[in-house]
Amino acid sequence: MRFAVGGALRRDFALYDCFDQPLRRSGRVLLRTGRDLVLLSDDSAPVSQKAEPGRGSLPAIAPGAVCDALTGLSPLRALMEHCAGRAETISVAVLDDMEKTCLRMQVITLSTRSGVATLVLMEPMRGYDRAHQRVVDALLDCEGASRGATGLWPVLLPGVQPYQSKPEVPITADEPAHGVAADLIRSSMSVFRQNEAGIIDDVDTEFLHDYRIGLRRIRSVLSLFRDVFPPEETEELQRAFSDLMAPTGRVRDLDVYLLGQSGFLALVPEALHPGLDLLFARMKTERDVAQRALARHLRSARYTARVAALEARLTDPEGLAPGPESERAALPYAQALIWKRYRKVCKLARRIDADTPDDDVHRLRIHCKKLRYLMEFFGPLFPKKKFRKILKPLKGLQDNLGLFNDYSVQQMELGRYLHPDNDAPVATDMAAAVGALLATLSRLQAGERTRVVASFAAFDNRAVRSVFEELFHQPEEARR
Amino acid sequence: MHVIACYSNKGGVGKTATSVNLAHAIARSGRQVLLCDLDPQGASSYYFRVKPSKRLSETRFFEDSDRFADAIRASDFAGLDILPANRSFRDFDRFLSRIRSKRSRLSKALVAGGAEYDVVVLDCPPNFSLLSENVFRAADRIVVPVPPSTLSERTFEQLVEFFKDQGLPRRKISAFFSMVEGRKSLHRDTMARMRAAYPKRFLAASIPYSADVERMGLRRAPVAEYAPRSKAAACYADLFAELAL
Ligand SMILES: Nc1ncnc2c1ncn2[C@@H]1O[C@H](COP(=O)(O)OP(=O)(O)O)[C@@H](O)[C@H]1O
Ligand SMILES: [Mg+2]
Repeated sequence: MRFAVGGALRRDFALYDCFDQPLRRSGRVLLRTGRDLVLLSDDSAPVSQKAEPGRGSLPAIAPGAVCDALTGLSPLRALMEHCAGRAETISVAVLDDMEKTCLRMQVITLSTRSGVATLVLMEPMRGYDRAHQRVVDALLDCEGASRGATGLWPVLLPGVQPYQSKPEVPITADEPAHGVAADLIRSSMSVFRQNEAGIIDDVDTEFLHDYRIGLRRIRSVLSLFRDVFPPEETEELQRAFSDLMAPTGRVRDLDVYLLGQSGFLALVPEALHPGLDLLFARMKTERDVAQRALARHLRSARYTARVAALEARLTDPEGLAPGPESERAALPYAQALIWKRYRKVCKLARRIDADTPDDDVHRLRIHCKKLRYLMEFFGPLFPKKKFRKILKPLKGLQDNLGLFNDYSVQQMELGRYLHPDNDAPVATDMAAAVGALLATLSRLQAGERTRVVASFAAFDNRAVRSVFEELFHQPEEARR
Repeated sequence: MHVIACYSNKGGVGKTATSVNLAHAIARSGRQVLLCDLDPQGASSYYFRVKPSKRLSETRFFEDSDRFADAIRASDFAGLDILPANRSFRDFDRFLSRIRSKRSRLSKALVAGGAEYDVVVLDCPPNFSLLSENVFRAADRIVVPVPPSTLSERTFEQLVEFFKDQGLPRRKISAFFSMVEGRKSLHRDTMARMRAAYPKRFLAASIPYSADVERMGLRRAPVAEYAPRSKAAACYADLFAELAL
């Protein structure tokens, strides 16, 4: 065997994936070297196509082999550049004693500021499997070599873990409640901070969504972990996090409307679609303005300083003062909280009938949400299978209550578009469409309202009750 | 799938040179080509630097579809695979009869990267008379190199007669003049005479006698690879174009 080495081709390169790295998780790597896009896979041959110029650092992916192979990606997530640098490609042919090519390889050296990786792309030739295997074996014997494309990640981006929007925080039964709360807060803190850059760059709508989930989880920990922190401290932190949340609401609301466009269109007769299109166009403009303001806010020195201070305080083990319940063991503490909340949900829900005021239904929704949060936070303490049994009907009830709430909020918000804004007259087409939409939403809301009793009944059955009882209800003497 | 046989009942007329350069030209036009080296001497395999596989020298080779597929080797050129030379043709007969049937295991094994080959080129050995008839039936085209000599004239006449006698479609025959030396009046006269006698059987394209073709043995590659601007390369391209595959 002899190696014939061709000349080197030097180009720039970039590695793309969505933020949560679905390609990496499914054993794929999307690379661009110069104008060539290639999708590598741990278990099938690479595919390639030309990269078209796109938005910013991201190439447009026109229809083609790579486009076809980019399956299984969430429509809510966008690809983004994870790292970039220089690539040097050398073509190598493996020849036998007759100077016949038995194997072709491309040896691509990728260098970034944080690492250098050498990628060997094999192009096996029919009938020459033995030569291929020999070269693969020899290469795998080299120190640090690994098979598959995803091995690039740890080399090029050492320390970059796949992002998780809801990382599970391990809890032990006898760990003090204060420690659990602090861990949960730190974990959510890291989640929302990781999403800042993506919101600023407006990569996709999930960044803001996850940012808000992170903040909301922190606020829930602060409010639900009763007496674990001193009340003044809790109150102050609540205010701080609610201040962080405030500037994000408008963009998220508009994102939700814009993502749900086709659903809203389906709710009104086709003749009114042009009117809704006007509404969405207006929302899109509003959204982009609000997004830019939000990005400015997140980049501001004020925001950065505030978050840094919060982070420093919350990551410091001494940073959070202990409250009266801070030493309570996690398990009995969790059981008491969940049981109490469950009882509250049941008490409230059992009173609900057709004539109950909407405010009570909204209150039930809030309690269910809190119950759900508690169950999520303390989930690791309880047997998974039993947990799922009660989570499913709870989710069913929550979906019902959630829709009831969404329809009511949507009516309020969309109704605002019927009023002239800055003296600009409201287009008649749009007004007619919004009017029709409001009527449908009101009908849908009424429909959800009538289902509440039934969905609670599905939750409030003997099987669910007995699991709640078994998992969370402690005998009298165990309680304080 | 299109089957093209490079055939002549005479040796040394340029069958192998034609098979190699034609297969190469077809592959360069973007089609998937399999060149079957049916000559036990392995000349076309040699031109592509492909070793005749020892395992394949056993009998019953063409009967075993999987082994047949395993024997195929990628050439150094995109879209062109080689079935290297093999010493036994006992079962070649059967190979020819099965290659056309879509359902046979053979044609299922005859795939390049999942798809059927677009074109199969058969480089026939000399002294092939025994199996000739089956080749004529299996092939869509029979490409016959004819050096413009009196002896070739006679051989070609026999071939056409054979087709007539057996009721084989003569339009399958695409003959062309090979190793033409334009300065020789004998060549010019023979060509004129034969074109007049078989106006429909001869292609306009012809291959000159050329040192560039002779060098194939040294370079072990198709002419268009090492002498892309030569007269010979242009003539092989014309031949390919006129066959309109
Ligand atoms: N057009 C040509 N000009 C010069 N030499 C040729 C030409 N075609 C073939 N040859 C040479 O003639 C010999 C026989 O050719 P080949 O293609 O092997 O014939 P066949 O396969 O019919 O036996 C080879 O040495 C080859 O290099
Ligand atoms: Mg020959």
